Amino acid sequence: MFLEKEEEKILDGEYGEVMEKCMKILVKLGDIYGADKLIDIKSVHSPGASYRVSGDAGLNFVEEVSKKAEFKCFTTLNTGGMDLENWKEHNIPEYFAEKQLRLTRAYEKMGAISCHTCTPYFIGNLPLENEDIAWGESSAICFANSVLKARTNREGGPSALAAGVIGKVPNYGYHRDENRKGDFLFKINTEVKTVREFGALGYYVGKIVGRKVPVFEKLRNTNLDNLKALSAALASSGAVSLFLMKKEESLERIEVDKKDLKEVYEKFGDKGKPDIICIGCPHSSILEIKEIASILKGKKLDAECYILTSKPIKSLSDRMKYTEIIEKAGGKIVCDTCPILTAKESMNYDLLYTNSAKLAHYAPGVCDIDVSLLELKDCLVVK
Amino acid sequence: MILKGRCIVEGYAEGTALVTKDPISFMGGVDPKTGKIIERGNEIEGKCIKDKILVFPSAKGSTGGSYMLYECVRNKVGPKAIINLEAESIVVIGAIVSNLPMIDKIDINLIKTGDFLKVNATKGEVIL
Repeated sequence: MFLEKEEEKILDGEYGEVMEKCMKILVKLGDIYGADKLIDIKSVHSPGASYRVSGDAGLNFVEEVSKKAEFKCFTTLNTGGMDLENWKEHNIPEYFAEKQLRLTRAYEKMGAISCHTCTPYFIGNLPLENEDIAWGESSAICFANSVLKARTNREGGPSALAAGVIGKVPNYGYHRDENRKGDFLFKINTEVKTVREFGALGYYVGKIVGRKVPVFEKLRNTNLDNLKALSAALASSGAVSLFLMKKEESLERIEVDKKDLKEVYEKFGDKGKPDIICIGCPHSSILEIKEIASILKGKKLDAECYILTSKPIKSLSDRMKYTEIIEKAGGKIVCDTCPILTAKESMNYDLLYTNSAKLAHYAPGVCDIDVSLLELKDCLVVK
Repeated sequence: MILKGRCIVEGYAEGTALVTKDPISFMGGVDPKTGKIIERGNEIEGKCIKDKILVFPSAKGSTGGSYMLYECVRNKVGPKAIINLEAESIVVIGAIVSNLPMIDKIDINLIKTGDFLKVNATKGEVIL
């Protein structure tokens, strides 16, 4: 890979060990994947922002980098391990909280906006078409490439960090036109219109295509929430970073019928009465919270219920009194975190209801819990 | 038999193979404290990756997987080496920071769980 003089100097350690280490990660990736050069990036969305994910190994790595370097571009943080303000209400052990706060502070010190969320596009990290970015969080990557038409590869914690402090990424993969083409055409023969249905579609397709690029013909009922659910599910059962929405006749055609989505619903079927309900994987938009509030107005929930979102969206919800309605019904709005990334000790339940295929996929393994994937109104069981 | 592939991260390791035809996510798919596969329905669910030569087609899922692999290695429950059909960036990044020998472009159908392997990642070779 070609390096400019300044980049060579960083690699040779002239700007210190930390910068050298970061540059080495980028150069190594560039060499493996055949990049021709490094290119400037407009933003970073950093994964590995929960102590549950970073562990001590990641925490030490981030702290070490934070002592010597700063982010060169706009950087937001992925979902963390706890609500940064109200963690004491959620059975988060002290040791976990202490390490999460250390991790968040290290990122803050480097200039990251410390609003932990998996939907950075709802809080102003909103790249434009064709902008090169370095994003982690599998759902956000898929959303950024496919819906926003920005350009990112699947960055892990160390590479997003390295890209942020250098301000560049190696030019390979989804940064290049030739890799942003469809591989399979999916014709959808059944109506999909809700978050649960778009999630099931993504889950089914992701498993088939793995790392390839699916193209959806005549995808109806698209909106930000449905496309967020589709992106998240495609990147859970598979490693999809990009999907396209157009007609492309030349590709191998795969039909998706009602029975195919039924397969997903059956995998995560109704298993009885829940003891926890979680909505907001990826983090809820204000419209989703509005809908939840309209369902719960004047009702009482029959299980613990957590609505997951980012701090700015919760502020809007507070102002609109949605939070008050949800709390009166017995629910809670939690910021910065999610069931998968929070401390294991705080997730001691038997059966989870959710409308998110992504959460349904990860929760059984991570939280040792059963899951039912249901429509939003069916998740919100009331007395 | 010598299988030729591509070096991802240099190094040498030998040990027994643990093979799955299913893609792996180190975040949510592997317990970083025990090294056990916890993804429900994965072909090797319940098996432990500790000190194995871990053989799988490619990575999938969460981008948290890079740090989770690093954490597995730091906790001494990581694999000795990784062999993939196609290296996906999340595991590659984890292997780079962990200094874990890794090779891809290997026909993993030729390897079975329990096979003894010598992995010369620097040369991009697996000796079966």
